Amino acid sequence: MSLNDLAFKLNAHTTDEGTRFDAVVSEDGVLEVFCSNNDEFPINLVKTDTQLLAITPLFSVAEVQPEKLNELNEELLFISPAIPLSSVGRQGDTYILFGAMALNTTFENIIHELEVQAENTLDVLEVIEPLLV
Amino acid sequence: MSILKNILTAIRGGASEVGEAVVDANAMRILGQEIRDAETAITKAKQSLTSLKASEIKLKREVNSLQQDITDYESKALKALEANNEGLAVEVANRIAELEAEAAEKSAEHASLSVQVDKINILIRSREKTIQKNKRELEKIKTVEQLQKATSTMSTNFAATNASEHRVSAALERVKAKQTNWEDRMEAGEWMTDSSQSDELDSKLKAAGIGAGADTGGASVLERLKAKQAG
Repeated sequence: MSLNDLAFKLNAHTTDEGTRFDAVVSEDGVLEVFCSNNDEFPINLVKTDTQLLAITPLFSVAEVQPEKLNELNEELLFISPAIPLSSVGRQGDTYILFGAMALNTTFENIIHELEVQAENTLDVLEVIEPLLV
Repeated sequence: MSILKNILTAIRGGASEVGEAVVDANAMRILGQEIRDAETAITKAKQSLTSLKASEIKLKREVNSLQQDITDYESKALKALEANNEGLAVEVANRIAELEAEAAEKSAEHASLSVQVDKINILIRSREKTIQKNKRELEKIKTVEQLQKATSTMSTNFAATNASEHRVSAALERVKAKQTNWEDRMEAGEWMTDSSQSDELDSKLKAAGIGAGADTGGASVLERLKAKQAG
């Protein structure tokens, strides 16, 4: 399924829990998805030859209290294994939450991953918030 | 140096923006070339494997046929001996010896071909492993490139909003407020459903003449007043 097809299906879908999606493909081929259960932190979907990556940028290094940076990194390493279906990482100066799916993942499972990732984002940020500026 | 180490070096060196090479173009070219070489080698190996396998099958069939002939001539030689025809038996025995020599030669050839077929199969498997390994390496690079792409839009937004502190806290609060609002509406919806169900039950009770509101008409008031007057 191409990212355009996925965007089309997402825009027409509402989950049993009432979650809706606003999905737009950008010019550089990134599918940006806003989940109605968390529309402040969109999930960006991109494809490689074998994977569908779901990435939520969380915050930048500049938003971390400088003296708390090590503590934050350590906390993220501790909580990462406990987060269902997602992991935390860093891309450049941006901390991210991400999940990877095989390209043949069914639409239902992609929906599940997106819902869980939207929830995970809030959980992680609630834990980390005291260390941010 | 492994690709992952290359990637880490590049990222530490500040290659975090879209378009910046995660690994140098030369390493990418080498990997791509190795994949293509291995694929070509596999195609060639598979072609020669097909012709070798055909020869191997042909030889096997010939050896079987020769052994069949040997068995046949052996029984004929025995029959010649039984008939006391020593001369004919010797002739047949010589023929058997020729056939045995030919069968041995072809068996050896067949065995050698089998070894070659096995070797080519091993080569193919090893090349396929190389391809898979290199493709995984390329996948790592592509993953980082896609990550850069997916993160770049948001990073720009961060830069724009960084002027205001507590961006994350404010966003979290907005999400929580929306979720609370949604939960309140859900609760209100449930309350509406509950109360309309309760209204419905009251009506049913009233209709059945049960409960406090069962009979509040003028007739009952008049009855009550009459009872009071009588008292």
